[in-house]
Amino acid sequence: MLTHYFSLAVKVLLRRKFFTFISLFGISFTLLVLTVVTALFDHTFGPDATEPLQDRSLYVERAVMYGPHSTWTGSSGFRLLDQNARNLPGVERLSLYEEGRTVHSYLDGRKISSTLKRTDDEFWNILHFTFLEGGPYGASDVANGRLVAVINARTRERFFDGRPAVGQTIEADGQRFHVIGVVENVSEVRMTPFAEIWVPYTTAKTDAYKREVMGGWHAVALARDSAAMDAIHEEFNSRLRRFELPDPKHYEAIVAPFETKFEVFARMMDVGDRKNPDSHVWRLVGLLAGLGLLFVLIPTVNLVNINISRIMERASEIGVRKAFGAPARTLVGQFLLENVLLTLVGALGGFILSVLTLRMLERSGLFEYARFTLNARIFGYGVALAILFGLISGVYPAWRMSRLNPVDALKGGTSR
Amino acid sequence: MTRHLLRLIWNRKRQNFLLTVEIFFSFLTLFGVVLFAMQYASNARHPLGYRIDRIWSLTVDRKEPAEDIAVKARHRETYRQLITALRELPQIEGVAAAFTGPYANSNWGGSMHLAGGRSVEHGVNRVTDDFFELFSVPLVAGRFFSREDDAATWVPVVLNRSMAREIFGDQNPIGQIIKEERDPNDGPPDPNDKPQVKRVIGVIDEFRQNGELSTAENYSFFRMRLDDADPKADLPDRLFVRLRPGTPASFEETLVKRAMSAATNWSFEVQPLETMREDKLHQYSVPLMVIATIAGFLLLMVALGLTGVVWQSVTQRIREFGLRRAKGATIAAIRRQVLIEMMIMTSLALVVGIALLGQLPLLPLPRPLQIVNGPVFVASLGLSALAIYLLTLACGWYPSRLATKIEPAEALHYE
Repeated sequence: MLTHYFSLAVKVLLRRKFFTFISLFGISFTLLVLTVVTALFDHTFGPDATEPLQDRSLYVERAVMYGPHSTWTGSSGFRLLDQNARNLPGVERLSLYEEGRTVHSYLDGRKISSTLKRTDDEFWNILHFTFLEGGPYGASDVANGRLVAVINARTRERFFDGRPAVGQTIEADGQRFHVIGVVENVSEVRMTPFAEIWVPYTTAKTDAYKREVMGGWHAVALARDSAAMDAIHEEFNSRLRRFELPDPKHYEAIVAPFETKFEVFARMMDVGDRKNPDSHVWRLVGLLAGLGLLFVLIPTVNLVNINISRIMERASEIGVRKAFGAPARTLVGQFLLENVLLTLVGALGGFILSVLTLRMLERSGLFEYARFTLNARIFGYGVALAILFGLISGVYPAWRMSRLNPVDALKGGTSR
Repeated sequence: MTRHLLRLIWNRKRQNFLLTVEIFFSFLTLFGVVLFAMQYASNARHPLGYRIDRIWSLTVDRKEPAEDIAVKARHRETYRQLITALRELPQIEGVAAAFTGPYANSNWGGSMHLAGGRSVEHGVNRVTDDFFELFSVPLVAGRFFSREDDAATWVPVVLNRSMAREIFGDQNPIGQIIKEERDPNDGPPDPNDKPQVKRVIGVIDEFRQNGELSTAENYSFFRMRLDDADPKADLPDRLFVRLRPGTPASFEETLVKRAMSAATNWSFEVQPLETMREDKLHQYSVPLMVIATIAGFLLLMVALGLTGVVWQSVTQRIREFGLRRAKGATIAAIRRQVLIEMMIMTSLALVVGIALLGQLPLLPLPRPLQIVNGPVFVASLGLSALAIYLLTLACGWYPSRLATKIEPAEALHYE
């Protein structure tokens, strides 16, 4: 029976090619936008080669220090993290690193701008970089403030024309570093690992950062297992509540929670009260779902209109089937199947267009080093979205169809 | 005739309702994009208030926050040495220091609480005396900061015209004191802070820090001194240098090396303002381009969909049209009927849309959404309404031709 419906559906779709084209165009375009947005999200927050263990990684990115009349929003300072984030129960590894900064080098009259990140040695144990040459710096390099650097492939390209770089030196921000390792490029949107040059944090020009509570630093922690994450979040919050702030007259509390990548994003989007250390994810999800619904509104109404036209055109066929005793349920089912089938074909078109669009985005240089791959996860989301879209846009027309009066329908349809 | 057409539309109310809904949402979408673009177009015509020829920005990273007074004094001394060192370079025509400047990504906003309960929102910058000359800012009235202000017991300020008008109305603002009262939310006054009155010494036409596409705002300048006796006074975050004509881009390396030798622990980022301007224009235009592309495709989709639906409804109404033809209606009359029906539905959608959007300016929206001024809003409404009419007319065009090809005899026979 299903194969019969299937071949019938194909025949119907081919009969009125213009309608089929309009439907496919609408579906493909809608899913193209949804897929590209999903891929960008996944690329930014999903697990990837450098950060594969997203289910037990926690980050401190945003910090808010506030008092009755002042609020300071930024990132944590080194002292805050150094005094509170170490030795949290349930944490397997912890790394503190400074925000990436743009530094400039002058090479034979050329200016080279790179992002430089100052990190500790644990950074290399938590994040999984692919080394093309040499290796990372270790605890003794950091302890002694050695001027060593790990660079990415692009930096090797720019400084050394792609020749082996280990053992050479590069000058950045007025300091000269020994290159000890070269890693593959990491996408700019991966906020935690991304940089072009990594150096031990102890090479900073002054040690003023060691006294600061706010500004410039982040932490990433690897929990022993995902069950420990809530406890880590809670324990760190309670340590921060007990932490003595340097300027109690103006600032009485500080909020800088350990959160998952997506929670960090929700906090940065400012969807909730920034003084609340609890997760803001549900607010963000609500907001995104709202925006998504707003976006699919026009395509849905459009598709509903086309579907109704399509049904009215087939009124006599439906009349015949009704007259021969086909129950409304069967007709509705058949129509929904047809619609979902059409949507899936459209989704396929949408995917092909998405791949092309993402390639274009990669080439545009809008996101440095980005490699947008459409993986099985995004494909799954896309298919689910397509089916949902097909059902939503099919339900009302199908209901209208089931209500058609067979006598009117046999006569060629009704206008009401 | 119109009543008759309305009845015909009413007879097919379910389908027509959905069509109207589709036109309605298309109108809202188009309006959003048009408003966005019109606002930019109107901003671009407004004067900018400065010139950036041959000016480079030097962002300073002091590495060490200067909350401590001793550190601050040390930094202030470093700045003095730095500026002296830069002035000595033969390629440099002028140097100024400021908190922020044109096309910079750091904005400082303030709110003045005037006596009488009004409060005025404004952009703030703190600059040295040479800043205005460096950027060729035209003066409208009064004077810029100078040595004259060294001994002043009040705080000298320079305002743009719109801010002066908002505070003083039609009075001459020069020499006036801005009457402020304490913000009740600020809590008890700090006994160490001595209250200081602000006096307007100059008025400029405009200073649109965020460039050509940004919306004009109130703007105020405060004086920054590097030989300040006040140990708590703010330090600059940026230096601006103007180069002599013909200085090559490779001068940047010399400039940075010279700056680093004067301030050993600091880092500098040099950017020509021309580059910063391009980045800023991108920052403004990229979101518009993304939204416009998506909206364009949505409208194309709507156009195709409407064409399909009207086409289908015309073929479905062959008998109706055949009857009218048999009763003597001309081809043009039938065609007009299809198009007028389309126009009526469009008008209905637009009336609802305009009635709804008309409420927007009346709502107490948060400040960043209040960018829209009256003429731009009305012009955008008109332009999008016109575009939607053209769109629906175009969608009805081909199907309406189809309706005219019907032979009356054939149509009446149709079953």
